[in-house]
Parts: sequence; C-alpha cells; structure tokens
Amino acid sequence: MKRYWLSLVIALSATVFMLYQDGAFAAKPKEVNAQNIAAESKPAESKAEESTDGITAQLDKTSLNNGGKIVITGKAPAGKPVYIEVWADQKVRSSRFDADVDPETGQRPYIFYLTEEMPAYYKLAVPKDFKEVLEAEKKEGRKWSVSKVLRNTGAAAVYSAPAKGKIDRYQTSLIASVIGSRGEMLPKMDAGENKRRSMQLVKARFRDLPKVFSADVDISPDGSFKAEINIREGLAPGQYNVVAAADKDIKTKPLAFTNNISFPTMYLSNAGTSLNIFWPALLTMAVTTFGVLMGAGGGFILNPLLLSIWPLPHTVVAGTVMPTVLFSQGSGIYNYSRIKFISWKLGATIGLAMVAGGFIGPKLTELVSLDQYKFVFGWILIVLAALMAWQTTPGYLAKNKKEQAILKEFQKRAKEAAEAKKA
Amino acid sequence: MTVTFWGQEFKVNIFIGCIGGFLIAIVSSMFGFGGGPFMTPLLAVGLGLPMYLVVGSSLLAIFFNTVVGSMRHYQFGNFDGTFFLIMFIPAILAGFVAPQIAKRISPLWVKRVAVVGLLILASQLLGLI
Repeated sequence: MKRYWLSLVIALSATVFMLYQDGAFAAKPKEVNAQNIAAESKPAESKAEESTDGITAQLDKTSLNNGGKIVITGKAPAGKPVYIEVWADQKVRSSRFDADVDPETGQRPYIFYLTEEMPAYYKLAVPKDFKEVLEAEKKEGRKWSVSKVLRNTGAAAVYSAPAKGKIDRYQTSLIASVIGSRGEMLPKMDAGENKRRSMQLVKARFRDLPKVFSADVDISPDGSFKAEINIREGLAPGQYNVVAAADKDIKTKPLAFTNNISFPTMYLSNAGTSLNIFWPALLTMAVTTFGVLMGAGGGFILNPLLLSIWPLPHTVVAGTVMPTVLFSQGSGIYNYSRIKFISWKLGATIGLAMVAGGFIGPKLTELVSLDQYKFVFGWILIVLAALMAWQTTPGYLAKNKKEQAILKEFQKRAKEAAEAKKA
Repeated sequence: MTVTFWGQEFKVNIFIGCIGGFLIAIVSSMFGFGGGPFMTPLLAVGLGLPMYLVVGSSLLAIFFNTVVGSMRHYQFGNFDGTFFLIMFIPAILAGFVAPQIAKRISPLWVKRVAVVGLLILASQLLGLI
C-alpha cells in the first residue's frame, strides 16, 4: 500500500512540474488576455471597412467566448463571386506519409511531409451557388480532395493562408516508417509545389470536407454579400483573421476577431483544440479501467469516443491515446504481476511474435481495401465474443474440470477475504 | 509450453500462440488499434487459458507493439503533450484499479466484461455505432 501511494505522489508531482514547464497554467492565459486587451483597445480598426480594389467587408463583432457566430457583410463588384477565408493565428502540426502509387512512375514515393505552420483553424466559405459542388465531392468519402474543390469552385486563387506555411519533406521507407523514422530531409520545395502539398496537409489535418469548405456566402445581384461563419466550441483561442476576396487581386485586408477561453478549459497546442480538462480525464479513467480489466489497453474505445465528443483531429487522438494506453498497460502489467495474474514467458513470447507482425501490417494496408476487411473482422469478433460467452455457461463449465477448480479456488479465497475483513 | 495457475497445469501450444499473435499484430496495425481485443479471445478461446491469467498475459503481449506504435506516432508529430498529461494519470490509476476489480469478481464476470468489449469493437467495425 505504501508503494502505491509513493508512486501516486511521484506521478502527480511529475505532472504538475511538466504542466509548469509547459507554461499551461501561466503563460497561455496571459497571452490570450493580452490579445483581448489589444482587441478591445482598437475595436474601431477591426470593425472599420477594409477596402482595396473595390471590395469592402466588416465583421459584426470583435471577440467570441469559446466559439460563436461571426457575421461578415460587405460589397464586391457586381457579378463577381465572393470567397471568405478564415484562419487562426495559432499554428499546429500537420503531417502526411505519401505511400500512394505515383501515376507517372508506378512507384510508391514513401515521402513524409511535415509542417509546423498549419493554421489551427481554417475555413474557406464559397458562394452558395457551389453547394452542389461541395455535396458531390462529399460523396467521394475519404477520397475527397482539397485541390479538386478549389478548382471546381473557382477558389484556387483565393486559397492562401495554409499555403504560406513552410513544409519539410523527408525520404523514408515503409519499414523505417513503422518505428517512426523520418529518413533524410529533401531539398526545399518551390512556392507552387509548397502550395500544392499544403492542400494535402489541410486534408490530412482537418479530414472532413465540411470542416474546411462551406457554401455560406450569400451574394446579391448588386454585389453586396453576407456570410455567417460558425466557430465551434472548443477551437483554438487567440486571433482569427478574415479575408473576403473576389479573385487573386480583389481582396480585403485581414479583419480580425479574437476567441477567448478560460480555465478549466485549456488549449491543447498540437491538437488545436480547447477543452474542459476534467471530462477527458474522467473518460480516460473509466475506459482504460474497462480496457485493463479485459486485458487490453482501452484505446479502441477511447479513440472513437474522444473523436465523437470533441473537435479533435484524428491523428493527434491516435498519437496521444497510444502512449496513454502504454501507461495503463504498464501499470496494469505491474499490478497483475503482484497478484500473479500473468505468465511472463507466454506474454513475452507472443509479444515478440506480435512485433514481427506489426512491421508487416502497414505493407498489407497498401494492398487491400479496409472497408471489406472491417466487415470480415467485425463478424470474426462477434463469433469470438459468442465463444467466450459460451465459456461462461454452466454447460461448458460442467465439462471443464480445471475451470471448475479455479472457480472453487476463487470462492474459497473470496470467503477467506470476507472473513479476514470481519475479524 | 506449460503454464501453471492456482495449482492447475495448462498445456499451451505456443506455436498457435505465436502465429495468432503475428496475425493479430497485422490486423490491428491495419485498423489502427492495439490488438488487445483480439488477444484476449486468442488466449481464452484459442489456447484455453483461465481468464485471470489471460488478462495479465494479454496486456504483456500487446505492450511491445504499443511501445513501437507510440514511437511512430511521436516521431510523426501526432503527440500532444498537454492532452497526454490530462490522460496519463487516470490511465496509470486505471492500471491499479482494474486488477483490484478483477481480483474481487469471479473469472466468469471478467470474461463477460471482455465479451462486452469485443462486441463494442465489432459494432464499430461493422459500422453500427
């Protein structure tokens, strides 16, 4: 029991120290406040009509409290389409491992693209007339493409904020990528290539089409326009920029508004998401307890739950839940070993066989379509679940003497424990 | 391989265990989860081990792949420090709480909990939830 408390104290103090180092309590709220003050002190400037070359626009407010609705109104030359680009100043990481067959060479490039400068929020609102274009592309499912939407809606010239971020690329190999080796850095890309790759990284980061594009700009025949942009709860704090554009040259200067959050809502700097920290902690506690109880980590339940509750990017959820589950497994192994519910040689032998399989899986992923296999393995799991449920029925137990002996032993021990408690 | 638990001897075909582990690792790395939900039935149904021993040994077996997977995610920039700090203490606590629960409830109930877990994952894969 003493050791239990000792490890708890160590874990807690390590966390407080790391939070302190990270500046999560101190620095970040201050930063937000500073931006607040800046925004409040010159509201006239950001509300004023900004104009260059015949397009004007204004925002209905200058700050939001953890999300809300921003209305953009303005006037453009009559007959021109109007696009509205909104992005956050906060930057996040986005990466993509390109293992798709190159249609020209027939080879898989195995190039890893990484940027640290993706806006934490990015939205491009297109004229309402393009609603059908977006709907059609949404039907492509996972295969939708940012560049195709830009082309089909005429927004390619307007797309700019993510294209400015620097993208690094590395030549790696499939096997090296399994343990996360990035390989060798390749020379810098030119601006055009950088822009093209940034579109893929936008998709890798935001994943779903409606998160990036919406057909929200309502344009009247005289050229005046109006758009409502809904900033969801749980997005990045700080300054957001809005630009309305008719084409590459006819656009407004950036208009700004701020999004404020306050403790216990905290900003996760890589996830680009703000959330009330108590709920994910409670959820993790419940799910990983369930996971460790069934002999797994619990990641397979935690991942989809986190994604469905908060606007978190799937890559960051997968990449953070995995090391979290590592700790639930590690502490589970330690505690199961203390009550001798573990066979070291069996677990370690099968574990090593699994490591070998883990290197081959990614190669197979390239060759098969996952959707068909999901169906197959879904049913395999149902059969396995049925078999395990059958193992708990009296009919099975009557035939299995060893299980009976273990059940008897359990009852004996439970009785002893109950008596020890009474005494 | 012979495994002993609470005075009972279990003969384990380690060959089946390793082939099974190998395949599970392939499947689970394809779908992006740890492999635990397949490992538990492999040990319980495939190798016929008692449930108490299954939960501990299954965790150990999938632990190595979790290490490799975590390294990969970290290198590829998918790791969020603050988010991890929010979740890792509850995760460690869960590793203390779950074995205490397992010890107090009958192995039959531990197995039923695992059945629920398998059905949750099955319905995810089949697109039911």
